[in-house]
Amino acid sequence: MHKGSSRWWCRSLSLSGLVLLLALSGSLRAAEVIPEVPTRYFNDYALTVKPETADRLNRELEDHERQTSNQLRVAIYPKMHSESDIDDYCQRVARAWKVGEKEQRNGAVLFVFVQDHKMSIQVGYGLEGALPDATCKDIIADQIAPHFKAGDYDGGLTAGVESMMQAAKGEYKGSGQTEYQRQHPVGSSAGNGNGGLSIGTIIFIILVFFIISRAFRRRGGTMFSGGGGPIFFPTSFGGGGGFGGFGGGGGRGSSGGGGSSDGGGFASSGGGDFGGGGASGDW
Amino acid sequence: MGWTMKKTALLGCVGLLIVLAVVAVIVVAAGSRGYNKLNTLSNDVDGKWANVQAQYQRRNDLLPNLVSTVSGAANFEKSTLTDVINARASATKVTIDPSHAPTDPAQLDAYQKAQGAVSSSLSRLLVSVEKYPELSATKGFRDLQAQIEGTENRIAVSRNDFNGSTQAYNTARNAFPTVLYASFVGMKEKPFFKADDAAQSAPKVDFGGFGTTPAPAPAHP
Repeated sequence: MHKGSSRWWCRSLSLSGLVLLLALSGSLRAAEVIPEVPTRYFNDYALTVKPETADRLNRELEDHERQTSNQLRVAIYPKMHSESDIDDYCQRVARAWKVGEKEQRNGAVLFVFVQDHKMSIQVGYGLEGALPDATCKDIIADQIAPHFKAGDYDGGLTAGVESMMQAAKGEYKGSGQTEYQRQHPVGSSAGNGNGGLSIGTIIFIILVFFIISRAFRRRGGTMFSGGGGPIFFPTSFGGGGGFGGFGGGGGRGSSGGGGSSDGGGFASSGGGDFGGGGASGDW
Repeated sequence: MGWTMKKTALLGCVGLLIVLAVVAVIVVAAGSRGYNKLNTLSNDVDGKWANVQAQYQRRNDLLPNLVSTVSGAANFEKSTLTDVINARASATKVTIDPSHAPTDPAQLDAYQKAQGAVSSSLSRLLVSVEKYPELSATKGFRDLQAQIEGTENRIAVSRNDFNGSTQAYNTARNAFPTVLYASFVGMKEKPFFKADDAAQSAPKVDFGGFGTTPAPAPAHP
């Protein structure tokens, strides 16, 4: 009896130990943060470069996708949120983002962790030929790191992005369209998002118009007789005109949306995959 | 009287047969669906295994290059070099069919051990190269080290993918209806890579940042 109970204790103790271990490993894993998919080509979350530089590189990377279909991204973070090695972590992130086209798997991501003084280029399966590990190492060590060491992030990223585009060029042929444009065709985006919204506003406006005109008519009926109608109708129309102004605002928003799918620098991933190609380095 | 008794017995028999047939059809249908699913998963494991082998092979192909580059350096310690050569030689002897994932845990274990020996001898070699700046600074060596680092990363990724796929297969295989007939149709549980004793999977060949990170101590788990 005594023996049995001590065994029971032993077992429950080891069990609770196991549970604790599991919980610990869970919390260790939870320490890693896979950031959300960036919405642009050049994403400076650490505010290290001038906005002009970011815009320029963003445009260049977008053009590069149009011409070559390669999806290259840059993501700059203040710190790396993981206990893992930078290669492991960045591979997981790039894979989670699915940068690159689905068939070609031609994505590549340059990660920079400013405070850690570390960076990594992750290359999707389809670009491993154009961007072999040694080339990535060269880009990091010879093109980017010297600028970073001198505190010139704009120069380093410009050189890095340009040499990545240079290396990746010629591997595939682009369709003149970006993944973002394919996923957000101009017609459907107007119909889905902004168009739907404006129909909603139109209904809302008509409803408000009716209520107001009714209220005015009732008031008009009691306060003024006969002549009230013709006087109040134009003013209530004027009110309608005011709401029309709101509608105009909506229209401006939608034209902004149209602009973005023409080339506002938004980026979408196409389902690419990463298997650990690329290189990492520090400065 | 006798006639009707016989009739009802016959009817009962036929009814029973029909019920049995229906049950059999259901079992076969469900079984074949489960079998098909298991087959798909099994093929996926095979595919992932082929990738694991390809990555190890890639490393294997890089080693002669590395050895010849390093041995060219003046008075390089020969022992670390021969360790790599020997480990590579014995690893090439442990072969598993690349088109079919291993079914025998001991087989995979032996494979993992052999490749692990290559990994640790390789990382020792690369560490000792650091003492020869006239070698480690050359473009040729840097390219090689980038390739080896990348290959170690690819190996780690492919092994992870393989383990994930194997886990999916094993889970499906051991789920309720499937487990009843899985071994009968030759669907065995598949082995996967064990969590490593430190150095094995991706030896952290930390080339550049020797000053920043304390030298990795892979020996003690």
